[in-house]
Amino acid sequence: MSDDLILGIDLGTTNSLAAIMTPGGPEIIRDAEGQSLVPSVIAFSDGKVTVGAEARAHAVENPTATVYSVKRLMGKSVSDLIGRAEDLPYEVVPGNHETVCVNVRGRRMTPQELSAIILRDIKSRAESVCGSGTKISRAVITVPAYFDDSQRQATRDAGRIAGLEVCRIVNEPTAAALAYGLDRAEDACIAVYDLGGGTFDVSILRVSGGVFEVLSTQGDTQLGGDDLDRELINLLTGEIRKEFGEELTFPPSTRQALRTFAEAAKMRLSSEDDATVEVSLGGGRVFRRTITRDEFESLAAGWVDHTIEHCARALRDAGLGPKDIDQVVMVGGSTRVPLVRAKTREFFEREPYTAVNPDEIVALGAAVQAGILAGIKRDTLLLDVTPLSLGIETLGGAVGKLIMRNSTVPCQAAETFSTYVDGQTSVDIHVLQGERELAKDCRSLGKFQLTGIPPMPAGAPRVEVTFLLDANGILDVSARELRSGKAASVQITPAHGLTRDEVDAMVNESYAHAVEDLNAHRLIDLRNESQRILDAIDKAVGAAGGALGDQQRQTLDAAVADLKAKRQGEDCDAIYQAMGAANDAATPLTEAQMDQVLSKTIKGRKMDEV
Amino acid sequence: MTELHEKAAPVKCTHCDKTMSTPVVCDYCHTIGPNAAVVDHFTLLGLPRRFDLDTAEIHRKFLALSRHAHPDFHAGDTPEVQQLHLQVSAALNQAYQTLKDPAARAAYLLGLLGGRSSADDKSVPDGFLGTMMMMQEELADAISDGDKAEIARIADVLKTQHDGLIRRIGLLFEQHQEAVSCKAVVDDLLGELRQQLNAVSYAKKLLSQAIDAEDSHE
Repeated sequence: MSDDLILGIDLGTTNSLAAIMTPGGPEIIRDAEGQSLVPSVIAFSDGKVTVGAEARAHAVENPTATVYSVKRLMGKSVSDLIGRAEDLPYEVVPGNHETVCVNVRGRRMTPQELSAIILRDIKSRAESVCGSGTKISRAVITVPAYFDDSQRQATRDAGRIAGLEVCRIVNEPTAAALAYGLDRAEDACIAVYDLGGGTFDVSILRVSGGVFEVLSTQGDTQLGGDDLDRELINLLTGEIRKEFGEELTFPPSTRQALRTFAEAAKMRLSSEDDATVEVSLGGGRVFRRTITRDEFESLAAGWVDHTIEHCARALRDAGLGPKDIDQVVMVGGSTRVPLVRAKTREFFEREPYTAVNPDEIVALGAAVQAGILAGIKRDTLLLDVTPLSLGIETLGGAVGKLIMRNSTVPCQAAETFSTYVDGQTSVDIHVLQGERELAKDCRSLGKFQLTGIPPMPAGAPRVEVTFLLDANGILDVSARELRSGKAASVQITPAHGLTRDEVDAMVNESYAHAVEDLNAHRLIDLRNESQRILDAIDKAVGAAGGALGDQQRQTLDAAVADLKAKRQGEDCDAIYQAMGAANDAATPLTEAQMDQVLSKTIKGRKMDEV
Repeated sequence: MTELHEKAAPVKCTHCDKTMSTPVVCDYCHTIGPNAAVVDHFTLLGLPRRFDLDTAEIHRKFLALSRHAHPDFHAGDTPEVQQLHLQVSAALNQAYQTLKDPAARAAYLLGLLGGRSSADDKSVPDGFLGTMMMMQEELADAISDGDKAEIARIADVLKTQHDGLIRRIGLLFEQHQEAVSCKAVVDDLLGELRQQLNAVSYAKKLLSQAIDAEDSHE
């Protein structure tokens, strides 16, 4: 049994979880306490990596080395994230060929590697639940239906880095429909409304005789519950500045505290009429604010309307009206927001289905698909579609579409290319995804170079290029010169992803540095971190050193000297302790600085009042 | 009724060695034939090669074949078998996509019957262009006025026009079936079919503009 076990994984923006197919149906993997959700949070501290609730618990005290919402970075470039990543307390930096990396205490990590850490954790949790000796090496991983090729590839690469063969990438709403429709024999049209932490999807499906046929899908990979959190945070920071001074900056720990509140408030306001925030800003200042449900809903209204517009478009693409839909299945934690349910009910003119836990239904569906692929479930079949049209750049920067959006996958299209110059032996092809007319407005998947074309007069070679979108929605390109019958080779440079070599290197690295490498990393991290602390103290002493008492000053000087000495050595724990001591000794200094800012503010006000 | 069938030599199933009634899938053991991905859309779906088809029947055939051909059910097989099922599945999806839409089905059938492609013959029926230009102007005016009711009315007219063209195409294909023995008549019919199909794509393009405009006003 363990040999053909395929794990179904819902790799979410906020939470991740897994399920397996059993003879009795799909079952969620739970820990000893019955918990299924693993927060998609990774913490790097004390030279060790923690994942889940434990990592999340340390987010406030360790904001720059706690990574969450990494799914938002998958398959993205820095320019994609303008206006989207500023609220993240960790640092997002450019990576190789238009990718992004996260700066984790001086170490650059790709979103794929970070996701792999979560996947590895999910995998080992499942292995321990399934019993001793269970080894899981294969998985079905879900992604938002509206993920493009780069994002799907990134997810598959993350699986590989985690030591998992990804048998299938399944769209989240489709997985949910599979779990929902599993025990329902009757034929029906289903709409799946999936509002997760970072993404929104709506898919329309027709179920007949065990075949789940996706008719259309619409969505936004940058719209989710996180946006509501951000709206709340913006509201609060605006008001805090109004109250305590416009120049007030928010250190990562305060930002994290605000974020934690925003999440809690959103949940509380799903059942209660108000939620109260209390944020300590140092120097004895406390900001307190009560947010009512009405206020929250007016913040959320525009955003929920946007999801309903997507529903209308999805129905139109499916050639159906709201009345043709037999059931609306709600997926994702954000669908607990009452306003979301109300607007969905109003649009589809029916009560949405919410009986299955909206956090778990996707993982259950992934397990069903895993069962199909493992050959233990043969009466069910999923026919999914590609969310975006696929095309190539033609003369003048226009896009020639080869595969239309909402085409059932797998699907393929062939196009014949020729040469412009005598003796030309290679042709460049730019592949794009998206609905816009111009190449610059679409998503670049990469430039493909056809090489090995036999030298012939211009226009004589006829190279047939076949674009195949497989059942994962991932593109494969092959080419062949028709006159000579020779296969032309295709070299792919992904526009927003990792090359095969890079992934291989990461796979090897992740095996190699499982334990021993961590110490070396930790030492480097600690030295960098302690230097930062020393610099900050130095600066603060210059600005507010006079405010310290003699005793305080002596303690600080001693702690600084100790840290300087320890960081020359190689004892990680000693450096860590010295860092803590220096931090503590510098606290009065930080408070003194805060007071200076505050008194400036008060002075400013007095002058205004005069 | 005459159907153009390219009679191939009976194929034997690679798995059970029984004679296959179609090259696509074995009637007994449901093994997919090695050449299933290269037959035409009608043969692949096991449908007669004609325009007048029932969409529900096309859908039923598509689902039944997908059950045998889909790569998901062959994940444990050899790479060659997996590749075959990937190809056949992609071909099935394309066949269904083409045949379920009357205009696409007509264009595909016209190609099989030897008619000209839209690249070779861009002509439309007499008077059609005038009507379309008039409607295009009306639509442009309605869009610039933001007159949603007028846009909806134009979309309705275009939809009626489209359906009328499709009915005309159905009649032409019927006449073609009765006229196969007379080359001159056949050529005329195929030429007129091309024109009607060009008109359909024209009307469709304008219709999608109208629908987009309706949408953006919401």
